[in-house]
Amino acid sequence: MSAYFLGIDIGAAGSKAVIIEGQAILAAVVVPSGTNYSSTSAGVKAEALRLAGLKESDITASAATGIGGRNAGAGSYHGVILCDARGTNLIFPSARTIIDIGGQGSQVITMDEAGRVINFNVSEICATGSARLLQVLARILQVNMDDIGPLSLKATNPSSFSTSCTVFLETEVITRISQGDKPEDILAGIHRSIADKISGMSRGVTLQQDMVVIGGGAMDVGLVKAIEEKLEVKVLVPENPRIIAALGAAVIAREQHGKSQ
Amino acid sequence: MLKEVSRLFFAGIDIGSTMSKAVIVDAAGVMRAYVVGPTGAEHRRRANKVMEDVMQKAGIILDEVAYIISTGYGRVNVPFADKQVTELTCHARGVSALFPDVKTAIDIGGQDAKVLKIKNGKLIDFLTNEKCAAGTGRFLEVAAETLGLDLNEMGRISLQTNTPVKINSLCTIFAQQEIISRLSEGQPLPDILAGVYIAVTTRVVKLARQLKVEPPVVFTGGVAKNVGMVKAMETVLGMPVLVPEEPLITGALGAAILARDQAFRLVQDGRLEMKKKELSEAYIDFVEKDR
Repeated sequence: MSAYFLGIDIGAAGSKAVIIEGQAILAAVVVPSGTNYSSTSAGVKAEALRLAGLKESDITASAATGIGGRNAGAGSYHGVILCDARGTNLIFPSARTIIDIGGQGSQVITMDEAGRVINFNVSEICATGSARLLQVLARILQVNMDDIGPLSLKATNPSSFSTSCTVFLETEVITRISQGDKPEDILAGIHRSIADKISGMSRGVTLQQDMVVIGGGAMDVGLVKAIEEKLEVKVLVPENPRIIAALGAAVIAREQHGKSQ
Repeated sequence: MLKEVSRLFFAGIDIGSTMSKAVIVDAAGVMRAYVVGPTGAEHRRRANKVMEDVMQKAGIILDEVAYIISTGYGRVNVPFADKQVTELTCHARGVSALFPDVKTAIDIGGQDAKVLKIKNGKLIDFLTNEKCAAGTGRFLEVAAETLGLDLNEMGRISLQTNTPVKINSLCTIFAQQEIISRLSEGQPLPDILAGVYIAVTTRVVKLARQLKVEPPVVFTGGVAKNVGMVKAMETVLGMPVLVPEEPLITGALGAAILARDQAFRLVQDGRLEMKKKELSEAYIDFVEKDR
C-alpha cells in the first residue's frame, strides 16, 4: 500500500500544501493566507487532496510549518528553518546554503548532505528583506509583480538609493521617477538594495555551494541575479520556490512516521 | 555698555527633514524668539523664510545678528550661515541649556531618532536611527494616514485607555497591516493608538538601552509634542521624562548658543572682523557678568 505525506506551510503572505509519495511530489498548492488561518489551511489541504486524487483518510501522516502552522490541524508542527532544509535537500541534494526570501523577512540557512541544519540567521521582520518591498514598489511603478524580474533585466543604469527602509524607499522612488529614472533602472536598484540587506544577514554564516534561493522572492529573476552579483556565486532556484517549506514539512512527516514504525 | 550689547544677537537655523526651525539668542545666551515651519522641497527658500520670520519676531535686523550657525539634515542649504554644525552637537547644547542636569536626551524627528548621553553639558555618546522608519515620526504619519486621523488628535484619543493592544511588527509596513487587522477585529481605537505609541517607543528605547538610560531623561523632537508619545515613553522607560515647552527647537537653540560661543571665541582670537568692536564689548560684558 502506498504511503502519502502532507505538508502545510501557512506563511505571512501565502499558504502552501504539498503531498508526496516517496520522493515524488503528487500535488502542490499555493493560495493567499488571508486572515483566517484555520479556514485557509483547510482549503489549501482540500485542494491538494483534490489535485492528487486522494481522500483525507489516504494521508499517512501530516506536518505543518509557518507562522499560522500551529492552527493547521496537522499531525505535528515544525519550524520553518528545519522544513526549508529538508525540502531543499529533497530537490537539490547538493545544496549546502539556502536563502529564503519570504513575505515578512528572510533567512539564511546552512546544512549538510542529509539536509540537517548546521547554522542559520533570521532577519527581523522587515519589509526590505522580504518580497513585500517589491509589492509596495510594483504599485508605485504600476507594473505587475510577475513583470518586475524580466523588466529589471533590461536595466542599463541601475538607480542608487540612500536608504534601505521600504517606507523611505517609497519616497525616494517617487523622487527618482520625477528625475526621469526608467522603471527598469529603479527596479534593478531596488534589487541591489534587497541583495545588500540579505548579504548583510549572511554574515556570521559560512556560505557554501551549492546555494539555493527559495521563497516568494526567488520567483523574481532580477532579485536572484542581484543576489548572484552581490555574493559572486551562481545560485539554484527550484521550479516552484514557494512550496519548499511545505515540502519539507511533508518530508518530516514521513521521517517521523518511519521512526514510529 | 549694556545698552549696546543688548542689540547684538546670534542665530541658529535647523533645517530638519520635515520641519525647519530658527532661534535668536542674545549675548547672554537667552532666547529672544523662535519660529517653526514645514521644510518642504525648497530648503534654501525655507531657510531664508525662517530667518526672516524669526528676526521679525525678535524685532531685529540682519545687521544685528553677529553670527549664524546652521544645523540639521539640510544645513548645507543655508547660504547665509557662517558655520555648519552637526545636529548632535547642537542638540546636546540646546538640551543642556534648558536642563543643565540632563544625562540622557531622546529625540524623535520626522525621519530619524537619536539618543544622546550628556555629562556636564557635554555630549559623551550617541546612537542614531535614520535607516528605518519604525521608531520615527514617519511611523506615526503612516498610522495617522491609515486611520484617517490628525496626529494631535491621535495622541489625545490614546490617553483614554490603559490597555494598549500589542503591535508585534516593528516594521512600519507590516505594522500598518496589523493596525488594519486590529480594527477589523473590533479592538477599540484608543487601545490601538496607545499600542502604536508603545510600538514606536519600544523601538527607540531599544536603541537608548544600548547606551544605558540614566535620569534625568529629556524627550525632544516633533514627536515629543504628542501627549500619547510622552505617556508611552514614560511607560516603556519606567521613569518620568522632561519635555521642553517647545520640543522642536532644541537643535536650533543649541546652534544659536554655539553661534554666540563661536563668535566670542573668534573675537578673543582677533579673527572676527565683522562688528568686531561691538562683539568685543559684548564678550567683555558677558565675561564680567559671569564672574
